[in-house]
Amino acid sequence: MEIVRIEDLKIYYKLIDGVAKAVDGVSIKVYPNEILGIAGESGSGKTTMVNGLVRLVKPPAYIAGGSITVNYGENGIPKEVNLLRISENEMRNLRWSFISYIPQASMNSLNPLLRVKDQMMDVIRERSNKSKEEALTLLPELLKRVNLSPQVLDMYPHELSGGMKQRTIIAMALALSPKIVIADEPTTALDVVSQLSVLSTLYDVCRKSKTSLVLITHDMAVHAQLTDRVAIMYAGKIVEVGRTADVFKSPIHPYTKGLIASIPTIENGGKRLEGISGIAPSPKNWPTGCRFHPRCPKATDKCRGAEPSMVEYEEGHFVACFHPEVKK
Amino acid sequence: MKSINEIKKIANNYIVRRIVAYIFLMFLTATITFFIFRLMPGNPVEAYLRSMEQRFPQYFETRAGMELSQKYKEMFGLQGSIFHQYFCFLRNIVKGTFGPSLLTFPEPAEKLILQALPWTIGLLGISTIIAWLLGVLVGVFIGWKRESKVSTFTAWLALVVSQMPQYFLAIILVFVFAYTLYLLPGTGAFNPLLKPGFYPEFIFDVIKHATLPALSIILVTAAGWIISSRSLVITILNEDYLIFAEAKGLKPGTILRNYVMKNMLPPQITGLAISLGFIVNGAYVVEWIFNYPGIGRLMAIAVGLRDYSVMQGVMLLSIFGVLTANLIVDLILPLIDPRVRRG
Ligand SMILES: Nc1ncnc2c1ncn2[C@@H]1O[C@H](COP(=O)(O)OP(=O)(O)O)[C@@H](O)[C@H]1O
Ligand SMILES: [Mg+2]
Repeated sequence: MEIVRIEDLKIYYKLIDGVAKAVDGVSIKVYPNEILGIAGESGSGKTTMVNGLVRLVKPPAYIAGGSITVNYGENGIPKEVNLLRISENEMRNLRWSFISYIPQASMNSLNPLLRVKDQMMDVIRERSNKSKEEALTLLPELLKRVNLSPQVLDMYPHELSGGMKQRTIIAMALALSPKIVIADEPTTALDVVSQLSVLSTLYDVCRKSKTSLVLITHDMAVHAQLTDRVAIMYAGKIVEVGRTADVFKSPIHPYTKGLIASIPTIENGGKRLEGISGIAPSPKNWPTGCRFHPRCPKATDKCRGAEPSMVEYEEGHFVACFHPEVKK
Repeated sequence: MKSINEIKKIANNYIVRRIVAYIFLMFLTATITFFIFRLMPGNPVEAYLRSMEQRFPQYFETRAGMELSQKYKEMFGLQGSIFHQYFCFLRNIVKGTFGPSLLTFPEPAEKLILQALPWTIGLLGISTIIAWLLGVLVGVFIGWKRESKVSTFTAWLALVVSQMPQYFLAIILVFVFAYTLYLLPGTGAFNPLLKPGFYPEFIFDVIKHATLPALSIILVTAAGWIISSRSLVITILNEDYLIFAEAKGLKPGTILRNYVMKNMLPPQITGLAISLGFIVNGAYVVEWIFNYPGIGRLMAIAVGLRDYSVMQGVMLLSIFGVLTANLIVDLILPLIDPRVRRG
């Protein structure tokens, strides 16, 4: 049973010169204890989509349709609600205890005038029924899980390095033992060495605490290494989703193939190959039919005229393409 | 004995550095004040003595005449070389005397200034603080509820009021409350029939007299604080740490207190301290319109009479106020903003 089911989600931006359909009919599920990767080039709508998932859609963005059903029942007793329908209070109760969010710009996500301790305490005290003493003993443990020393508790954000900030945020995200953590490009602001160690910390803590992780990154190599399933987003839609092993072994959508081909490997001398030609389309004016057709080597008149829908090619491996190339 | 290193450490100390800079700036501005007044043509005492000497040389050649002239020059700090005058000037500042006032000769200027100062500090100090509290409260509220119609309207109104000249508002207030409704007195600081002192009737009378001038200051300055507080809040609401706080599921009250207010107050407290430093300048226009016996009005009269002693005194006092306010800001800012703290 999935814990999140997004159905036909549409999030648009109301702009002066039109409407940007950044997320335009996304359907996807998140299962318990899994690491779901979301890949896709920048501008494909990944951030907008997860903003919807945590209901932090701010003007000029608005939800234009769809539903997000979460199941926060315990011990197999389902308890489903549509996130987009519940009240502000009910939503607040789900935040952090059911769903935590590590935003894309998380370098600036800490309050510059509060000590780390106080920023962790406020949410624990307000959102759980732990006493002050219990909370105080919990804090060093949380930090230890992300390899930070308890000294960090008394520091201010400006005293932390980028990697330490990110670890602090990961520790915070797990403070109330949520069922699911969303991490939007959690390491893009870090240097390569910290990227790897922060990602592996995030991976470890989520695995150990059996928390589902939705990991957004455009780095296909990270998806190949860390995720259980991966979804490929293109132009506000998901074009391919499946078990990571399946998708990497036999990618079906030409866009997915291009993305995988662009991973630097030892064989191609560590160089990134230009996997996909052409420029990304604008969300204000998506191409007709299959949105990838202007850049697709296999595009035909059919692709220009109609939008392909998702078809299951092997168990759990869905692709939206009129010209699938299925290796068997 | 202290080692050189220890002394270096003390000299590098943030507080020590600030205080040394403060003393140096005071000295520098006092020096500039002195030379500005020396360079300004038309010191009335000097001119008067010179014209008397020219018109009645026979008197000034006598011993008594020369002594008289000498005595005046000494009283007004005009005797000896310019350096001698300069050192006397600095010595007098330390002693707190500015020489006799022409307005009330032979009373010293500082006596006039000290008489005017409590009125100015009372009126402007209280108005500044009320305006700040009001402005920050309203500004935070309309920034926090920025979508509501009331907020939009208030922001617009504050913008209009903040651009109004104080005299305009003052005149309207006088016209409406003093001359049309006869609710409040429109001139003076107290009823001259009452004997000044700390008794309820007098205090009440002082408050009544201060209400209209205070209102004309408060409305304009509060409008300014509303605008700046609102824009600070709106900036903070768009900060990443605010989105994160919301994602954490904190209650709006907690977010407002620990995230919004916490981050918008340091700049506003700095602003308040700086404006408090400016109050010893007096409020020239308002004090003049309401005939309020403060520093602003005193300065206006002194300029008219070219009373250099009073002018110098007021100028030094304002510089002192502004520099002291800046020093206080430098000393309290590290306490409210850890990013300014250093070793
Ligand atoms: N604040 C915004 N205002 C207007 N349009 C936006 C804004 N944020 C995103 N968009 C639009 O949504 C599209 C998708 O953005 P985003 O969700 O950030 O993509 P990704 O995270 O995949 O890079 C962008 O190409 C842009 O057109
Ligand atoms: Mg993004």
